[in-house]
Amino acid sequence: MNKRKKQKYQLVDNKALWIMLIPVLIYFIVFKYIPMLGAVISFQRYSPFKGIFESNWVGLEYFRQFFSSIYFTRVLRNTLMIGFFDLLFGFPFPIILALLLNGLSNKHFKKATQTITLLPHFVSYVVVAGIAINMLSPSTGVINALRMKLGLESIYFLQEPSYFWGIFTSMKIIKESGFSAIIYLAALTTIDPSLYEAALCDGANRLQQLKHVTFPALVPTIIIMFIIKIGKIISISFEQVLLLQNDVILSTSEVISTLVYRRGLVNADYSYATAVGLFETFVALVLVLSSNAIVRRLKSDSTLW
Amino acid sequence: MTQHSGKKSGYKLDTLYSFLIGLFVVIICGIMLYPFLFTISASISNPESVIRNQVTFLPKGPINFEAYKILFHNDRIWTGYANTIFYTVFGTIVNLALTILAAYPMSRRRFNGYRFINLFVSITMFISATGMMIPLFLVVKSLHLLNTRLAILIVFGAFPYYIILLRSFFQGLPEQMFEAARLDGASEMTILLKIVLPLSGAALATIGLYYGINRWNGYFWAMIFLRDEAKHPLQVVLRELIVLASMGEEMDANLSRSATNAEAIKYGAIVLATLPIAVIYPFVQKYFVKGATLGSVKG
Repeated sequence: MNKRKKQKYQLVDNKALWIMLIPVLIYFIVFKYIPMLGAVISFQRYSPFKGIFESNWVGLEYFRQFFSSIYFTRVLRNTLMIGFFDLLFGFPFPIILALLLNGLSNKHFKKATQTITLLPHFVSYVVVAGIAINMLSPSTGVINALRMKLGLESIYFLQEPSYFWGIFTSMKIIKESGFSAIIYLAALTTIDPSLYEAALCDGANRLQQLKHVTFPALVPTIIIMFIIKIGKIISISFEQVLLLQNDVILSTSEVISTLVYRRGLVNADYSYATAVGLFETFVALVLVLSSNAIVRRLKSDSTLW
Repeated sequence: MTQHSGKKSGYKLDTLYSFLIGLFVVIICGIMLYPFLFTISASISNPESVIRNQVTFLPKGPINFEAYKILFHNDRIWTGYANTIFYTVFGTIVNLALTILAAYPMSRRRFNGYRFINLFVSITMFISATGMMIPLFLVVKSLHLLNTRLAILIVFGAFPYYIILLRSFFQGLPEQMFEAARLDGASEMTILLKIVLPLSGAALATIGLYYGINRWNGYFWAMIFLRDEAKHPLQVVLRELIVLASMGEEMDANLSRSATNAEAIKYGAIVLATLPIAVIYPFVQKYFVKGATLGSVKG
């Protein structure tokens, strides 16, 4: 027993590992855990001069303020609608793209097209949004130039609230589809080639192969990705929305995260913004944990696949 | 006989099928590439044509590098460039150092803090960025890190997701090798530096590239933390130049020396900011693809 303990001690030097972890622990405590605790200011009338320990406690006042304001329904609707658009259009597109890329027989063509479709993912949102804004501009945009050539009126797309969800979703589809397709392409490479040979022997044409071999092999990945995506439906990145947003179209483009930015960082309304952020964190947490639990259940339930 | 003809029409159908797939793929690639081609064309076209909306695909008028000449003499662009390179290089070094220092102990199953540290890191993955926005800002403020370059480097020092990825990779290395090294008297640091890291080249390249791209492309927190223009990275400068200017706000006075050039300058700035990524990207694409599938192999 004693000998075994001694050996175990030698196999791993705990002290050295803890020393290695010191910078990691400091980083996580200062920039992750302290901010988590700092979220208590949503229950205070936080004043930067008084600090977190001296500010007055106000209970749920800021939550009540948020829930009863017109912003609550507005940002909740916008957040859910953008999430819903992303689910309806943004989710199937990478699957279709993966199936298309997988259907290409020329290796070089396949590689070149994958390079092209992946490229937008690595370009910054500032650049992509900047290009989008310029292309949609009423005076110098290509899209309006085309409309004018066809005898149609020029539209100021980014000043019309009704276009925002569509524009934002399109931008995300163009930017992220190639990247999201990778996971499906990876799943497609695991298909046993003998299944195709068998289908070929049975006289299946390529459409039938797609229907009976390729697509069924993707279904588990599709289901898992779908559940993960639902788990993230409410977490719309402020960095992305903010770039396409302007004051005229706030009625459709203000989402929970940009409201937090505007009230907290622009107006320095710290407690209110933190309360809104805490609400988002709570809903997002419930969604993500449920979706993770479902995914884990599906993955362990091997009889299903 | 009938079966034979059925097969034949099947082949015809297959040819049509291949053709249609190729066509769709070409269209999709066209849609994805077009904005970039247009941007390049607009940046080297005759400025008058850009304003009159005559550029649709290829450069219009005599090719003209006026916009780039103006950009090359613009201090904000170059300061932004230098800052971005600084944040990307040193930021990625900080990212990799913290990620390695976290992932290695997390991968040692015999480590007495194994469960604690794995939980400690994993929990933070579930906290939403929106929820942390204000408290994080206040922490940075109370540490007097606002308006410092250090804030950019250390506030986003490591992403728990990449720590978990690297930990999974380290766990895939043969444990007996470490234990044999331990019995030979090697310290944990020696094992990490001499055995683990040399075996992890591809994994480190993948994670480093993701961190690097993130550093290069980030704008939001730099915009929040840094007041001095002299410290702004390129993306913040670009945002002011392209996004805000197009939204009808005043453009940087010394950039829009002539209104005709203003449009071409915007496009030129986009090209300059994206060029490094577009040039490096094809060579490192395989690492990106590897990184995107890494997470799915080991949850």
